[in-house]
Amino acid sequence: MSRPEAEHQLQRVLAMIPWLASRPGVHKDEVAARFRITRDELERDLGLIMMVGVPPYTPGDYINVYAEGDTVELWLADYFTRPLQLSPSEGLALLAGGRALLAVEGSDPEGPLATALVKLEDALGMSEVVVEFGAPAELAELRRAASAGERVEIDYWSAGRDEVTTRRIDPGPPFFALGRWYSDAYCHLRDEQRMFRVDRIRALRATGERFDPDAAPVPEVLYAPRPGDPRVTLELPAGASWVAESFPAESVEDLPGGGQRVVVAVSEPAWLDRILLRVGTGARVVDPPELRAAGRLAALRVLARYRT
Amino acid sequence: MSDAPDRRERLLNLLAALLETRRGLTRAEIVNNPTLGYPAGAAAARRAFERDKASLRAMGVPLRDTEKDNETRYRVTPSEYYLPALDLSDGELAALHVAVTAIGLGDGAGEGALMKLGGIEGEGAVPIAALPLAESLVPLFEASRRRAVVRFRYRGRERELEPWGLTSKFGNWYVVGLDHGVDDMRVYRANRIEGDVEAGTPRAFVVPADFRADRYLEDQPWQYGGGRPLAVRVLADAGHAAALAARAEPGAVEPVADGSAIVTLQAVNLDTLCSYVVGFLEHAEVLDPPEARAAVVAWLEAIAT
Repeated sequence: MSRPEAEHQLQRVLAMIPWLASRPGVHKDEVAARFRITRDELERDLGLIMMVGVPPYTPGDYINVYAEGDTVELWLADYFTRPLQLSPSEGLALLAGGRALLAVEGSDPEGPLATALVKLEDALGMSEVVVEFGAPAELAELRRAASAGERVEIDYWSAGRDEVTTRRIDPGPPFFALGRWYSDAYCHLRDEQRMFRVDRIRALRATGERFDPDAAPVPEVLYAPRPGDPRVTLELPAGASWVAESFPAESVEDLPGGGQRVVVAVSEPAWLDRILLRVGTGARVVDPPELRAAGRLAALRVLARYRT
Repeated sequence: MSDAPDRRERLLNLLAALLETRRGLTRAEIVNNPTLGYPAGAAAARRAFERDKASLRAMGVPLRDTEKDNETRYRVTPSEYYLPALDLSDGELAALHVAVTAIGLGDGAGEGALMKLGGIEGEGAVPIAALPLAESLVPLFEASRRRAVVRFRYRGRERELEPWGLTSKFGNWYVVGLDHGVDDMRVYRANRIEGDVEAGTPRAFVVPADFRADRYLEDQPWQYGGGRPLAVRVLADAGHAAALAARAEPGAVEPVADGSAIVTLQAVNLDTLCSYVVGFLEHAEVLDPPEARAAVVAWLEAIAT
């Protein structure tokens, strides 16, 4: 057993001891389910608990366990009467996860999650954590359609091709990643599963048609570049680190002087144009050579609008 | 290297002994205690004890060592070790389980926390959001909870901050607080903090009761900086006007017949405004004032030549 595994088991055992003491006669299946272990692992944990004792072995020095058959009884010693304090990362995980879920529209602001977080904050003296997701116009309606299995028609702006198309989709439940809401949906225009950005849905209309929401595949990797997408190597000036932070860059290398060399997958040329114009003169395409003029051409196209 | 079962027994018994002692135990008292079963031989026992200390600390055990009379004594103070009773109902535990499974924070800490609170209740949820925590957030959170001033490096400079709270917006995590260097409120993006976060002593500041961490983040970066704001009118084509209007003050949007709109933005920083507007490519155009329009043209010409 590796060291982290041993530590993991001990942490679980320390959490389990006071819980078992407060539930005499609890069924072993329930303990195993609560602590996410098998019955065999539980037996090993109980075996370990039985070995604990502090000299000079007065009755308060031993934890007593009776675990024959399917139930467990445990009598506490003077120690391990409460679980170990939450570590900073555990406290943060509970509070950040809890506050984030409460920030998703539709959450009950006075439900059990909210009351649990107040108890945690009161007992532990928590820090203020506020999470905001932003709610694109069609998010609520899309979420409702996804869970009810209602096919919808959307006007969708494709940033890559820079055009608005109308299509029917079977939406998957909206998912927040990289700062945006997405829906993995079956697209009837392209006849394939596609990822849509909810904030780019310009309008959404009911169709009266239905689909089976449980039959949709669960997205495994979100917003992963397709293997066939061309890779572009960019050199960015100091102050443009937001590019690598905002998009899934495949590699980021710091350059002398504070700039960066990044490799990004570019599936649509308009996306690259937008980055080049936004960063300005310090941005440069290194590779592939045929895209080295992309920024210049995009700038000329936009300038044409100012010169008419 | 494998751990025999007796090492885990030894760790549990060691922890129990450290919790039970009031005056603290010396290393000699620990390694010579036959119940703990340390290996014979001073060097081997010493190595084994060092390894046990590291394991306990890795588990989050607040193990303290104090020097007294030229001896180090080890102790775990019960009040520091024990989690206070929280009396969470099964419904509340299940809700927390849903929260830590629905929100992907990029580590497994949530499940360990739930076990301490009384086991994992209910089925959890399918993930609906990914909000990966930056490495610096754990020490920032702990310092904020303890009200300790933090020091860290950010954009090449040392900062000293009272971390009043954390906030996440559009997928990024920020720490918000009073910056001692400028004596004003500042927001730092957690994943841009360079190196370690050092925390000072606890209870060093008080957070005002009406503090809200999210009030210090603006959606309109062109409003940052000093100087007189300029009312810049931007014409956005149909299909793009809504995105631009979302960043403007209410009432700053003038619809035009074909679905396009003129949006007025209050800009202090013209460079930031240029960068934002050219991101719309040929679908948006700064109309006036002339100096703002000239700034965009100059921005584009610099790229085009």
